[in-house]
Amino acid sequence: MARYGMVIDLKRCYGCYSCVMGCKQANHTPPGVFWSRVLRGEMGTYPSTVRQALPVLCNQCEEPDCMKVCPTGATYQTDDGIVRIDKNKCIGCKYCMMACPYGARYSVEEYKSYFPEGPPVSDYEKFCMQAWEEKSGNGVSTKCDFCIDRRAGGKDCACIEVCPAKARVFGDLDDPESEISYLIKTRRGFVLRPEVGTEPKVYYLPPR
Amino acid sequence: MSSVKLDGQVQTEWRWLIAAYLFLAGVGGGAYLAGVIADLIGGADWMTVSKIGVTLGLPCVLVGTMFLLVDLGTPTHAWRVWMKPKTSWIARGTIIIVLFMIFAAIHTGWLVWPFGSPLADDASTRHLIGVHGDVFAFLPVIHKGLLMGYNQPIALWHTALLPVLFFVSAVSTGIMAVTLIGGRLGVAESQLTILANIDVVLLVLELFVLVVFLYNAYRTVESRFSAQRILSGPVASAFWLGVIACGLVIPFFLELSGGHGVAATLAAVLGLFGGLFLRFSILAGGMISPIVAGGFEFARVARTKDPMPAMGKLPPS
Repeated sequence: MARYGMVIDLKRCYGCYSCVMGCKQANHTPPGVFWSRVLRGEMGTYPSTVRQALPVLCNQCEEPDCMKVCPTGATYQTDDGIVRIDKNKCIGCKYCMMACPYGARYSVEEYKSYFPEGPPVSDYEKFCMQAWEEKSGNGVSTKCDFCIDRRAGGKDCACIEVCPAKARVFGDLDDPESEISYLIKTRRGFVLRPEVGTEPKVYYLPPR
Repeated sequence: MSSVKLDGQVQTEWRWLIAAYLFLAGVGGGAYLAGVIADLIGGADWMTVSKIGVTLGLPCVLVGTMFLLVDLGTPTHAWRVWMKPKTSWIARGTIIIVLFMIFAAIHTGWLVWPFGSPLADDASTRHLIGVHGDVFAFLPVIHKGLLMGYNQPIALWHTALLPVLFFVSAVSTGIMAVTLIGGRLGVAESQLTILANIDVVLLVLELFVLVVFLYNAYRTVESRFSAQRILSGPVASAFWLGVIACGLVIPFFLELSGGHGVAATLAAVLGLFGGLFLRFSILAGGMISPIVAGGFEFARVARTKDPMPAMGKLPPS
């Protein structure tokens, strides 16, 4: 069985937020929900400073804390290692949102419009709201699932497809011949917050 | 390492509703503990105090759990909450609280039964139920500390001191609730003075644990932002006025001056408010520590609440 993961090359990423917008468009997430985000970091003191962008998403951990703390078993792992949420079992206690080391989980009470005041107005927004309620739902925990529906249709994850710098690679971590295994091995791939011990499956390649 | 000051992510999900639950579960559990111990040690003389303490246990915890239910995103699924006690502290907590409520209900029912209470005569059975109930009163009190402590990313909570702090505060506020009601129901002044003296010791202990807790948080890089948030940031007024002044210092001096009269009532009311503010300060101070990678500290760029402030207002439809 495959064990899916992602590699993000920080040398290539220039922080254009395409992945953020691509994800929002593909998954119809409401305002304030960012399954794919970009964090900003700064190092040094003026005038010798460096800025760096860090795209983050759900790390699909091997030992996910969010799954351990879930009181109902709503969070589960598929055979290929993707952490998913059963919206019919989730009670919305938000414990997983506290436990996630990457802040990857979001929950909204209702689908708000992007336009100020009131419910969704345009037909497109109404469609988005329906799609969101079918797939994720209000009042429950939601997060990235490596675009499981898009991949079932033979497409790439939305964030990979829209990345103009080709900074993201998706693949099977168990296959030693795969591109992502090669990149992790040869380019000193690392993970975020290894000390938490959740064994994340999103790897990063150093910026320099 | 970064030299700019970056805000981590402030947790905004658990606020007043959860603080109210923590507070009420603490008061209920603490009062029940105090009630049973008064019965075990004091005997027949302390029966009124014991009855007040035991009777407070169930309603406080029950009302507290109502706050938890209101906070849920989908309360209709709430019956699933006990499904995974193997790994989840919320599931374990649910079982513990239900067991406590069963013991407290049996105990209260027999103790205050209007048609001659069987437990009043049978001391050994009463003590047996009380001791078992105490175990389950102790657990809900510390359980939320363990629950919050499991969250590694929120470094402020990720410490073994949190259950200790919650326990001391729970017993202290529990005794305050007993004194508050006891003063109205004619408990002897000498007994109220003893309760006040015990509470004075607990207040000093609570202050000590709180100082160690915050010092520890400040000395740890990951939780320093949280400590600053509580001591001098947006939560500071709730902390200094609510917790330190209302909850600890004023009740301390009022209770030192004697455990009865207006001073005692005021001390108990202020102390109870302080207990609520303590829970709120610790919850509101919780921040996910910044991600560190390759020498950079990463944080979400602060944004205004309105996602598109420049869009203007829509005409009413």
